[in-house]
Amino acid sequence: MNNTEKRHMGLKALNRVSNTGIYILLTVISVVWLIPFVFIVLQSFRVENTYQVGYVIPKQWGLQNYINLWNSDFKRWYLNTLIIALAAAVFQTIIQLCMSYTLSRFRFKLRGPLMRFMLILGMFPGMLTMIILYRVLSDLGLTQANAVPGLILVSVASSGMGYYVSKGFFDTIPKSLDEAARVDGATRLQVLYKIILPLAKPIVIYTILTAFMGPWGDYVFARYVAFGTSAGYNVAVGMYSWLTNDQINRMYTTFCAGGVIVAVPVTILFLCLQKYYVEGVTGGAVKG
Amino acid sequence: MASVKLTNVKKIYDNNVVAVHDFNLDIKDKEFVVFVGPSGCGKSTTLRMIAGLEDISEGTVEIDGEVVNDLQPKDRGIAMVFQNYALYPHMTVYDNIAFSLRLKKVPEDVIYEKVTKAAEVLGITDYLMRKPRALSGGQRQRVAIGRAMVRDSKVFLMDEPLSNLDAKLRNQMRSEIILLRQKLDTTFIYVTHDQTEAMTLADRIVIMKDGYIMQVGSPDEVFDMPDNLFVAEFIGAPKMNIIKTKLLLENGKYYVTPFGAKIEVDGDKGKELAARKVKAGDVLLGVRPEHIELADAAAHAIPCTLVVDEMMGSELHLHVDADADGTRLIVRVPTLGLSKEQRKKLVRGAKLNITFEGVAMHLFDAETEKNLLT
Repeated sequence: MNNTEKRHMGLKALNRVSNTGIYILLTVISVVWLIPFVFIVLQSFRVENTYQVGYVIPKQWGLQNYINLWNSDFKRWYLNTLIIALAAAVFQTIIQLCMSYTLSRFRFKLRGPLMRFMLILGMFPGMLTMIILYRVLSDLGLTQANAVPGLILVSVASSGMGYYVSKGFFDTIPKSLDEAARVDGATRLQVLYKIILPLAKPIVIYTILTAFMGPWGDYVFARYVAFGTSAGYNVAVGMYSWLTNDQINRMYTTFCAGGVIVAVPVTILFLCLQKYYVEGVTGGAVKG
Repeated sequence: MASVKLTNVKKIYDNNVVAVHDFNLDIKDKEFVVFVGPSGCGKSTTLRMIAGLEDISEGTVEIDGEVVNDLQPKDRGIAMVFQNYALYPHMTVYDNIAFSLRLKKVPEDVIYEKVTKAAEVLGITDYLMRKPRALSGGQRQRVAIGRAMVRDSKVFLMDEPLSNLDAKLRNQMRSEIILLRQKLDTTFIYVTHDQTEAMTLADRIVIMKDGYIMQVGSPDEVFDMPDNLFVAEFIGAPKMNIIKTKLLLENGKYYVTPFGAKIEVDGDKGKELAARKVKAGDVLLGVRPEHIELADAAAHAIPCTLVVDEMMGSELHLHVDADADGTRLIVRVPTLGLSKEQRKKLVRGAKLNITFEGVAMHLFDAETEKNLLT
């Protein structure tokens, strides 16, 4: 074996060792990440006792917790959340993509100042606006039992602000495609949905997912707007109300079942669209 | 098929940069006009104003007698081929070509007929179901041309369509464009920075610089009678040699004195100078590399030193420095008829004598750089 071969063998062995190390580390991290999820799934099937017990694997398995869910206000909360999230996903995506396309393709006098203004505005934490937003929603009669349209309004109203990622992606699509399509007879709107959006599929999916996820997991603002009226709760607020001292003993495993039901659609969405999501997050920066 | 008329067309950008100054041009029906010039001369901007992709700051653009300043690109009756092809990457070749027809809601059977016919003409029938990324540069450019063809447009605009192709393919596509032009028999406006493309394709060439038209004329006109120094240097490869010299008038005859040699401006050019009563004085003398000959030492020969010799195959390009003041000149020598002995002598540092005929000379005013004879 000559020196070159020895060096190559050394490199291979080194690669193998470092790969093994990396895989072990990744496995440990994923197990740690999965523990709470597995724990919640297992608890949701436990029927022998509704409060926390000193073991993980249920002694008696059953669907009682899910039946309890069905008989509680959970249905209403779930529907509320779904309506808010779907509406946000639809309107926010439309507004955000139109905004991004406009800022990417049109040149108008206040374009630069507008983008800077939104950048600066975006730096203020959303929480700061809570009091005034509540005031506005309250005056419009969109709080408590009417929290759902109120929450939709809030999440859609600011959607143009999140234009950065998709504008970055649109910027990488050559302008000559727009021009060719316009010469071919397309209107600006046709250019957007026949040419640009099919090419920007990852970013469209990324936008839909992020728009959906925001209201789906919202707690603070949703609680603030619904303010003690169960009819206006979303799942996070509603389920949290089960964790009060007087309820937790009775509702703990039902809470776990609710957690599973909440996680299911999001998990399915992510599994199906994961490829695009990753492309969307990274695509704006590197797509040539 | 249509005429295109540009009257006092101006393009001023928001930052007050003027890209095109007072552009006036009358393009006849079925004419092939090429805008040529270096980067930033305003040729593409002018084309884009005709296409409707840039606003016209001042002046009017007429297509077929109708002012189109405020019409959308789609309503101007034009088709355009872009430098980077601008094919829709998510559509097949067929869909790319059919796109404009589908927008017009043309029945699918008519679309099929048109697309397959265009594909046949361009030789891309086998690729109709492929996506653009699976095509080579030349094939993509054909698709782009096909997309423009099916629109049955009055005016065909091409913005540097061959710039992204390699040299061999560019030559091939150039001849295909000539054939296409014969088949389509419509008005073409073509933009390029390559003077060879301009010379080979155009009926008329518009040479531009810094937003101004420097000359409009047929390839022969701009080559033989350049209006000014810029056109003289821009058209022709290798470019024209320019020598600062004096024009003398002795006994009714004109002479130039490049590097101490005294050469008569004879023939028609001498007569024309006399007819215009051009005064003696400083001039810029232009001589094309192919009009310079290697000579034996003689009274009117110019001694030079060879600096670089480029073998181009059928000809040699000799870069020589005039011994008198070091001015760099290029001489084009056909290799046919050059003996091996002669070739061997043409190496760096070799001492040569060059000469040229009076009829081959172009004379420009030293200050205005305008041709003294146009």
